[in-house]
Amino acid sequence: MNSIERIKAALNFKQPDRVPVIAQVFGHAAILAGVALGDYVRNGELLARCQLQALQFYGYDAVFALMDANVETEAAGSILTYRTDQYPIVKSAVLANGTDLNTLLPPNPWQAGRMPELLKAVRILRQEAGDSVLVVGCVLGPMTLATQLLGIEAALYLAIDEPEQFAHLLGFATKIAMRFGVAQIEAGAHLPMVFEPSASPEVIPAPFYREFVLPYLNQVFTTFKQAGSAANWLHTAGPATPILHLYPQARVDLANIDFCVDPLDAMQALPQTCLNGNIKPLAYVEATPEEIAAESSRLLKLFANRGGFILSSGCEIPPESKPENIAAMVTAACQEK
Amino acid sequence: MNDSMMDLLVKALLDGDQTQAIIEVGKLREAGVRRRQIITDGVEAAMTQLDAKCTVEQFNLLEIMLCGRAATGVMKVLYPLGAPPLQTKAAVVMGTLEGDVHDLGKNILKMVLTAKGYRVVDCGKDCSLERLVDAVEQEAPVAAGISGLITTIIPQVRQMKDKMAERGLGHIKVIAGGAALKQATAESLKVDFIAQSAFDGLHYLDQIVGVRHE
Ligand code: B12
Repeated sequence: MNSIERIKAALNFKQPDRVPVIAQVFGHAAILAGVALGDYVRNGELLARCQLQALQFYGYDAVFALMDANVETEAAGSILTYRTDQYPIVKSAVLANGTDLNTLLPPNPWQAGRMPELLKAVRILRQEAGDSVLVVGCVLGPMTLATQLLGIEAALYLAIDEPEQFAHLLGFATKIAMRFGVAQIEAGAHLPMVFEPSASPEVIPAPFYREFVLPYLNQVFTTFKQAGSAANWLHTAGPATPILHLYPQARVDLANIDFCVDPLDAMQALPQTCLNGNIKPLAYVEATPEEIAAESSRLLKLFANRGGFILSSGCEIPPESKPENIAAMVTAACQEK
Repeated sequence: MNDSMMDLLVKALLDGDQTQAIIEVGKLREAGVRRRQIITDGVEAAMTQLDAKCTVEQFNLLEIMLCGRAATGVMKVLYPLGAPPLQTKAAVVMGTLEGDVHDLGKNILKMVLTAKGYRVVDCGKDCSLERLVDAVEQEAPVAAGISGLITTIIPQVRQMKDKMAERGLGHIKVIAGGAALKQATAESLKVDFIAQSAFDGLHYLDQIVGVRHE
């Protein structure tokens, strides 16, 4: 089996030749290649080259065309600060200074900000590796993008004080996500992962999630499926257990679970949904390869009977992680029968 | 003083109803209640109740944000020029370090501490270590608080105590919180305390300044 077949088998609860392993290597690919993170997130070709190099080095099952959490908000007009060795940050959010939402247009993915660079990365990755390895794009989920357009506190207060206005903002964010994701599929991504950290129960309670987030996520995922996405992958960091059972309502096929989610709870909440996770991100920086290997086999055993599992980290593998720790996870998946 | 009037303020604060809370403050002031007492028996009392309600499993962020916003609104009405209440318990300097945009947790901590009578000096997000130490030097706080949600800032955290010691500020406590720092131990981060929540941090600070917990 190649990586794509292996992942598809896991998604469908069929027996893969081995459990797929997806290391959430984003900025770490730059560090590994000796490239500045600040350059990596601005240059699609460089990003793709670093991803391919990391793929060759580790031999896992997926590559990512993913820059950081600010691509969409920048394309819509927010100003970022770039640094050499760190991810960029939002200096001023486009809607934070009183700009009227009604005057904003959803950015054109082929023109605005770094979106075209990301699409370029997708195209190269698909060309170079995409026949056998999963090429994953990324869009922010509606809730997260709303918080990135307005600022997280202002967005949460808006949701409570003026729910209709907030729904309007979510609608706008949804449009951006759909356009950008469809463009990624057109450029060759097998699927755009939906990155939705601000919808974590760490931030909003489950009833809020049901009312404000689910319907919009459903729209996004329905659109992606129609556009040919291989699977609907939802990524929500933090202690997501209280909302997992709602994922099928948003048509989620693959659910990321963070290290603070008990895999047994996740299996119970999502009996028919493939799960990926959930090694602690900090462990790749601080633990030893032996510890990562032990944690990997614990997870592989836990899911052995059920299937529907992809071995992975709970969230992004920190850029400064030790390569031998990432390698230990990949080896664990390859050696397990 | 009319206890039930104060209760109404506490209730409005706990409901997160800023408008109502400000109305109640107006009534209390008309009845001749001192600002200091409104802070102690109203704002701080509401925070204490919220604290008791917020366990690790039962932690409703929005509830705290709304209560925090109402409390901040009340303080602004009581001290319109931004002058802090006269006898603050102590000062606390806090910030999110360079490269980290997550500031929701820090802002909540700020609201909680302010409402509990601390003077908070907020260095904001994406703050350089140098600036944070400068602020510690200027403000003579009881502690410096670092909020960190991404692991890349950990090396900066580890330098904090040494940088402070270089300037003779080694006696000031450093406390840390936030998702990335919570995964580590106090020893490995070279800090004095790691808080699991804003209230956890509050309890630690109260202990240092010698406030007894009811
Ligand atoms: C919302 C969120 C975001 C939002 C943040 C918006 C904002 N302005 O704050 C956005 C979408 C922007 C975002 C971006 C990113 N994020 Co983020 N995000 C989260 C998420 C889901 C919740 C964080 C949050 O706000 N929690 C709610 C607050 C209230 O909780 P809190 O901060 O812990 O604070 C409480 C206590 O800890 C305490 N506290 C906090 N600080 C302090 C300090 C002191 C002194 C004390 C006493 C107490 C205290 O008080 C609060 C109340 O009790 C977490 C998941 C998680 N597990 O936390 C990931 C998480 C923090 N993000 C993560 C990552 C990786 C990122 C990105 C790097 C992704 C990317 N590749 O682009 C970027 C970061 C860019 C940057 N340069 O910083 C990772 C970090 C892991 C790591 N590698 O280090 C996390 C942990 C997810 C994970 N499990 O991996 N994110």
